[in-house]
Amino acid sequence: MTQQELADHISVTRQTVNAIEGDKYSPSLDVAFRIAHVFDVPLEQVFHYDPPRNRGK
Amino acid sequence: MGYCMSRLSFQEKMLWGQLAGILVVVGFYARFLAHSGPGHHYFHAVLIVLLFLFASVRTFVRRRSRSVVEDERDRAVASIGTRWSNIILWLGLVLILVMYWDHGSMRSANFLIGVLFHLLILAGAARIIRELVAYRMSA
Repeated sequence: MTQQELADHISVTRQTVNAIEGDKYSPSLDVAFRIAHVFDVPLEQVFHYDPPRNRGK
Repeated sequence: MGYCMSRLSFQEKMLWGQLAGILVVVGFYARFLAHSGPGHHYFHAVLIVLLFLFASVRTFVRRRSRSVVEDERDRAVASIGTRWSNIILWLGLVLILVMYWDHGSMRSANFLIGVLFHLLILAGAARIIRELVAYRMSA
């Protein structure tokens, strides 16, 4: 699937898909769920959270 | 150049268009300052024509495009630019108020119009540049 096809499926621009892929932009929950729905996989298989290290130290 | 432009989103292309428009207006304004005489204030007309052209092109392209041309990332970037623009406008308005409180009777209407014009151009340019930087940082 191309970036443009995914973008059309989830109603965002191709540049936004590119930014998400490049880890330059964090999408809203709505878009994140839509991406997971397109690929028919759970959300955590598409996105994962890296907690900031040394927080509060 | 064509390849570079094709990689830009619709909103980024619009921002470059706006920046070019502001430069044209500033160019006409500089010409007005150099040859200031009555009846040659073309930059006002240029500003209005450019605004009309920009709104027309934007509406035409948006209707013609089959893909999404604006999404949540564009709105997030726009809010950053608007914040910068608002800060400059507020500071400018406070500056105008201070000037008029102290020396209101000494300032002419032309002076006020000049300050407002510069303020608008400055706020617009700051918004556009900040949004272009934000797009590049998240691209």
